[in-house]
Amino acid sequence: LSSSLAVTSEQIEHLHRRFKQLSQDQLTIRKENFDSIPDLEFNPIRGKIVHAFFDKRNLRQESDGLADEINFEDFLTIMSYFRPIEMNMDEEQLDRFRKEKLKFLFHMYDSDHDGKITLQEYRNVVEELLSGNPHLEKESARSIADGAMMEAASICVGQMGPDQVYEGITFEDFLKMWQGIDIETKMHVRFLNVDTIAHCY
Amino acid sequence: MFLLLPFDSLVVNLLGISITVLFTLLLVFIIVPAIFGVSFGIRKIYMKTLLKIFQWATLRIERGAKEKNHPLYKPYVNGIIAKEPTSLEEEIKEIRRSGSGKALDTPEFELSDIFYFCRKGIETIMDDEVTKRFSAEELESWNLLSRTNYNFQYISLRLTVLWGLGVLIRYCFLLPLRIALAFTGISLLVTGTTVVGYLPNGRCKDFLSKHVHLMCYRICVRALTAIITYHDRENRPRNGGICVANHTSPIDVIILASDGYYAMVGQIHGGLMGVIQRAMVKACPHVWFERSEVKDRHLVARRLTEHVQDKSKLPILIFPEGTCINNTSVMMFKKGSFEIGATVYPVAIKYDPQFGDAFWNSSKYGMVTYLLRMMTSWAIVCSVWYLPPMTRQPEEDAVQFANRVKSAIARQGGLVDLLWDGGLKREKVKDAFKEEQQKLYSKMIVGSHEDRSRS
Repeated sequence: LSSSLAVTSEQIEHLHRRFKQLSQDQLTIRKENFDSIPDLEFNPIRGKIVHAFFDKRNLRQESDGLADEINFEDFLTIMSYFRPIEMNMDEEQLDRFRKEKLKFLFHMYDSDHDGKITLQEYRNVVEELLSGNPHLEKESARSIADGAMMEAASICVGQMGPDQVYEGITFEDFLKMWQGIDIETKMHVRFLNVDTIAHCY
Repeated sequence: MFLLLPFDSLVVNLLGISITVLFTLLLVFIIVPAIFGVSFGIRKIYMKTLLKIFQWATLRIERGAKEKNHPLYKPYVNGIIAKEPTSLEEEIKEIRRSGSGKALDTPEFELSDIFYFCRKGIETIMDDEVTKRFSAEELESWNLLSRTNYNFQYISLRLTVLWGLGVLIRYCFLLPLRIALAFTGISLLVTGTTVVGYLPNGRCKDFLSKHVHLMCYRICVRALTAIITYHDRENRPRNGGICVANHTSPIDVIILASDGYYAMVGQIHGGLMGVIQRAMVKACPHVWFERSEVKDRHLVARRLTEHVQDKSKLPILIFPEGTCINNTSVMMFKKGSFEIGATVYPVAIKYDPQFGDAFWNSSKYGMVTYLLRMMTSWAIVCSVWYLPPMTRQPEEDAVQFANRVKSAIARQGGLVDLLWDGGLKREKVKDAFKEEQQKLYSKMIVGSHEDRSRS
């Protein structure tokens, strides 16, 4: 029983309660508040995910950099990147929807906010994702990242000359790489409808 | 001074008469039926009346809230978001398949891999499974127990009066009644089993001990005003088997044991519990361990196996979760009981939280406080489902078998099946689990990378 509607007032109520739980009844959340979620410790890129909440680009603010704390409105803004598709969206809306979600992911890679994913940033992400394995040496992780970056370059720029330097993956190139993957149907969190408790009599 | 005397004796007389009347009523309506396993159906009528009152109270609160134009707090039991049941590997494969169309036998790092972890992370931030399970399940209707309601501000005068009346009834009438019953039940158990213990071993002794145990459990059930519905009683555990059930409170034992004959397993305690345990074991063999023996897993397994192999002994009752969970989900079953190799009879117990919250949060309440809370609730309503027996298949190991049994129980009771370890309530996340997801992913990537670099 899952609803694929946009966020209703009930759901906002839920998120608000969750926000209060995380912020321990304060008006804003800081990075430290995310430490209280045990499941999140599993996640190898938790640093980047938490970071994404405070990233001013995701918060649609004019300035750049990181916010120190976010309020409930900001929390909702971030959550809206994970809205499921609405039934009545047209082509243009769908496209914009998709770009927004991909932009969110792009910001996760591009940690210095310069609009490009450089080799170093790419390596950074791969290392984090593979950080759980204690037997993996830094060199292996690095070579994996390098290999993947080369692939990315070949997709985006085609064959490069021997002295051409690939600066980094821009957002347009990033979009190219996600072609064919319908991210808009996968990158969402669905709310459940009312549950029924098993009746005992 | 003189004038007080006749009143004095009058009061004493009245007191004496009322106590006698109370006791006779107790005996006739509660204790005697308990001994013979008969029921007058009083509890069912009581339950129906209570339900009607609760519904009325909830309607009043909703009306009150509407008048003040404020949304009511309506908590959802099973979490607010739908989590995808697919595993890490499946999801990543799917994304890659639809993306670059790369062959799946040469997996390597893809830009899109970050997506799976990102989504999982956001899901956890929105709604955390584990910590939710450990606080008492939040209710959707008000059961006049102020302990579990957050919509207090919408209560009118009428409701407050009703609530006050409820408190009075529960604490001044029901509580002493229940304590008296519990006392009777326990003392009968201790004396009965001790007496039976003097008989020579044989069929007569077994018969009597079974019935003494049963009678006392039935009295205790009435002491808690537990209204239990048993389903599928033909699947009840038999001798030489192990009965496995999900654990919400210490009352589970009483609930199950009042409908069948079981041998208990547990650690010997001091005090009253110890007295009861020692008396019980005189009448029929239970498996009690000393505190030091509990740590020795092989010893425990050996004694359980010995018990199970003796077909004349009663089936063992075990709660493999190891701790009390709040009855909305079933957590990981510890594999010890599943290694023994006996037939497992799963039982699902589901409490209806409307009448009283049976969950024992042992980090919050001690045993005595918990029992008092139980005895001052309206009633304990639950359902017990006896599931068909299961045995370990040759190709599965103890852990897989345990998980299979756990899913069967969770499905039957309408409980959510969770992989988490119940011990999480008190400890922090075990490091082994933390590593698993990351290891799995890195294995996928690195393993293949090494193959490629070799070739």
